Amino acid sequence: MIRPFGEAALLVELGGPDRAQALAASIRREPIAGVVGTVPGLESLLVDLDPLSADAARVPAALEERILRLADAPAAGRLRTIPVVYGGDHGPDLAEVASMAGLTEGEIVARHASAELRVLFGGFAPGFAYLGGVRDALDVPRLATPRTRTPAGSVALADGMSGIYPAELPGGWRVIGRTPITVFDAHRLPPAYLEPGDRVRFEPIDAVAWDRFGALPDDW
Amino acid sequence: MSIEVVEPGLLSSIQDPLGRREWRHVGVPSGGAADPWNARLANRLVGNADGAALIEMTLIGPALRLGVAATVAITGGLEATLDGVPLPPNAAQAIRAGSLVRVGSGGGARGYLAFGGGLEADEVLGSASTDLRTGFGGLGGRALEAGDRLQLGAPPAGPGSLWTGSWAAGPIRIVDGPHADRFAPGALAGGRWRVGVEADRSGVRLDGPAPATDVPQVPSIGLPPGAVQVPPDGRPIVMLADRPVTGGYPVPAVVIGADVGRVAQLRTGDEIRFASVSLDEAREAVRQAEDELAALETRDGPRDDGLGWAGSHR
Repeated sequence: MIRPFGEAALLVELGGPDRAQALAASIRREPIAGVVGTVPGLESLLVDLDPLSADAARVPAALEERILRLADAPAAGRLRTIPVVYGGDHGPDLAEVASMAGLTEGEIVARHASAELRVLFGGFAPGFAYLGGVRDALDVPRLATPRTRTPAGSVALADGMSGIYPAELPGGWRVIGRTPITVFDAHRLPPAYLEPGDRVRFEPIDAVAWDRFGALPDDW
Repeated sequence: MSIEVVEPGLLSSIQDPLGRREWRHVGVPSGGAADPWNARLANRLVGNADGAALIEMTLIGPALRLGVAATVAITGGLEATLDGVPLPPNAAQAIRAGSLVRVGSGGGARGYLAFGGGLEADEVLGSASTDLRTGFGGLGGRALEAGDRLQLGAPPAGPGSLWTGSWAAGPIRIVDGPHADRFAPGALAGGRWRVGVEADRSGVRLDGPAPATDVPQVPSIGLPPGAVQVPPDGRPIVMLADRPVTGGYPVPAVVIGADVGRVAQLRTGDEIRFASVSLDEAREAVRQAEDELAALETRDGPRDDGLGWAGSHR
């Protein structure tokens, strides 16, 4: 379903993140005349148009044709491993997440660290990646009262997703741990460690090991 | 020689009219001037390319001492004086070294001050615009402060120009957004709204008759400028330059591209009304706005006499 989103954009509803990312990748590889940018959402792709371009009127048909050619299987995506110190001062909400689920803190950590998550889309703040694949006991609602400050690197859960705060920000997600690595640096290219389509695994580390991890991951 | 910030004003920052689009998929806002048309106008008046870096000023502008002769233009909603004499808006002005440009308040929320040659600024991720929240671009990622010194690029050749048009009046024009069918018809266009206290470069929140909807949240979507999000409290937010790149509240309407800058000129307490138009009308409005920029009158008269044009504005 392709809907106009103002005179300078279309919202292409694709039913899921894999197809939204696949269409974005297809347009990056092979640009469509009249399209000046894209932004993936959860199940859709925002497609920016030059409204004065003669090509703009032909973009919907070009998108339809491109959607028909999308591969069924999602692209593999890079695997990113994020070291995390869980609980304690680094994860002030871990105990409550555990008690909500009737599990121990260790069981919550084990589930979070054993799941392979996937970057669905970006938003909220530069470098913030919404990670899908969070289920069952880890699928928790936001805090009733958001925090005014959540430290950079905080690893959090909310609404069936996980995320890493790229900077100190206000936020309503439940913080279960913290990573020593940097995930956004405006002065690097690319500026974000995680991009839509990446696969993500969290690796529990001891607080004493914090300093062993450089601020920048080796594979950035 | 440079331009010295004597007083910074309420919130003055280096922006460019075009912003950064390349990294929105990893959450980097497009940023750039909140009223892009007025920013482009300021640049064109002084002979710059559209994307040159300039100063965006909010509610009360800065006082600047020019250590170097320069061609300047002020556009948008704030008014300025040059050594105490009103500086004509929407026109290139040749200004002597040593002059004091003081920008006060005016009829809107934001003014743009462009300098021939543009400002030298940190270009980060494809734009000189300041991302104030995350802190990069422009001048060290922050608003201007007293004592800052700004450098100019090489001045462009050619005469300055003049805009004699006037701002559009009347309701802010909207087209249907992707969730228009989840709201009653006329949910926005029927009401009288007032700009709330939360009005910044990210967006403008409105007080008025809360539009009823059956969808408190939707799967997050990429947001173009002008998208009107309605959170569960029913107070619509018109998204501007520094909006988050995605959002999960339903969007009943989108402010047309030609009117997004008009929303950015609204101040807390201002009344705002909406009128629905067609996509064809929205495209025609964009075309007219472009035509207006393309048809600026060349400024006649001496350009480098060092006396300045203030006072001889026709």
